[in-house]
Amino acid sequence: MPHEQITLYTAKACPYAQRTEIALAEVGAPFKRYEIDLGNKPEWYAPKVNPASKVPAIAYGGPDVSPENASPESIKLAESLILVEFIGDLYPSSGIVPADPVLRAQARFFIEVVSTKFSPNFMKFISGNPEGTHAALLAGVDAIQDLLPDGVKYAVNDQYTIADIALAPFWARLNVLVQKGIGAYKDEEKKKFLKGLEDPKYAKFNAYIQRLLARQSFKSTFHEDVVAEVFSSKFGLAK
Amino acid sequence: MSEQLTLYLHKLSPYSAKVELALVEANAPYRAYQIDLPNKPEWFASKVNPVGKVPAVTYGGPNVDPDDPSPLSAKIAESNVILEFLADLYPDSGLLPKDPVLRAKVRLFIDVTTKQVEAPLYDFIRGQGSYDNVLKGIEFIQGLLEEGTDFAVGDHYSNADACISPALARLKIITETDLGKFPVGMGYKLGEELKGPKFAKFRKYAQGMLDRPSLKQTHDEEYTITFFKTRFTERVQ
Repeated sequence: MPHEQITLYTAKACPYAQRTEIALAEVGAPFKRYEIDLGNKPEWYAPKVNPASKVPAIAYGGPDVSPENASPESIKLAESLILVEFIGDLYPSSGIVPADPVLRAQARFFIEVVSTKFSPNFMKFISGNPEGTHAALLAGVDAIQDLLPDGVKYAVNDQYTIADIALAPFWARLNVLVQKGIGAYKDEEKKKFLKGLEDPKYAKFNAYIQRLLARQSFKSTFHEDVVAEVFSSKFGLAK
Repeated sequence: MSEQLTLYLHKLSPYSAKVELALVEANAPYRAYQIDLPNKPEWFASKVNPVGKVPAVTYGGPNVDPDDPSPLSAKIAESNVILEFLADLYPDSGLLPKDPVLRAKVRLFIDVTTKQVEAPLYDFIRGQGSYDNVLKGIEFIQGLLEEGTDFAVGDHYSNADACISPALARLKIITETDLGKFPVGMGYKLGEELKGPKFAKFRKYAQGMLDRPSLKQTHDEEYTITFFKTRFTERVQ
């Protein structure tokens, strides 16, 4: 059944937005992509697309208009995880939402853990919040690793799902930023974090991460240079 | 032949109540087992939910007593994750609509409820939150309600309604009794303000939710009021 048009408002640096780009790439959906300059948002964006003024947002359906001219007839949706589920609902045979209810629940629980134990600490660490310590980051890694089943490729099983999509953009940014020394964290904390990750107890996590970063839908939507540039202008370099 | 579903809950937990509401509204068979939270049985964390919280669900596996959970059942925790699970088990129940856009709207309502209604309200009741944030959250959620329908989204009871109803029940208690850790009188004040014409749509929706038999079945108002009386004796000034 042909779907209605999808216009995605997104930004290359934003990890939330990349989740939706990965999902669209995974399901092979045709869509219009519109880059929002987060430092200089167009004045039509909040009134016509997303009152919260954030990315990602999707305009779904309605007449075929240019993204700058979003129609009141299209449905406006926001919140990255809701958008990823929406894309999964539009393309159920893609498998990004598992077919089995128990596996789906495991995927969603994984996402809960990423949202509560990992991504807040990533933001705190990068922004130099004193609570964003290497220990807090490693606790997030522990919480995620505890959920990874043995002997499967991804978070829930061998299928790449919304659980993997939720984590990949955040991990990738953390990875790039600490490798390049970009962010408001102290260099000491970064070193302790990287050293901590080398511990053999994180072998399962590290192998999983490699598979996440190798996924084509991740690679084609990850813009390392833009991430480095935007985060360094916002947070500077590690002391 | 369907699998067993056991819900571990606590009578006073609004998060447990969300799940039980969805089960009742979906007409789903389930067993309920009360966990005495201050005196948790040791098997609860080791066999059902390592984090030790309610609600938690076991699904499938052999038919065992709730206090002897089997390693063969699936264990599911987190109230909003369980709500989605129930919608997946019962796709015709209406807990989630079939249309992708309406499903997104239900999830958006739940997201706003979690962040802008539940969190500020429970903080406020515990004496940690701001009165203004409670009102702002109610105003925001009211903005999502459509005219002339009884439900949060579409024309059927969904997870969105189940998610917000326990918060509505507690809002009713604090506005009618002024019980809570917030400064004396602020509960009554909130009630008065919510009676204004600005909140007519919200009031109508809330009353509809509070009148549902499922709510009366899963929410013991007297018991909750008694708990509030004993728990919230020290008031913020």
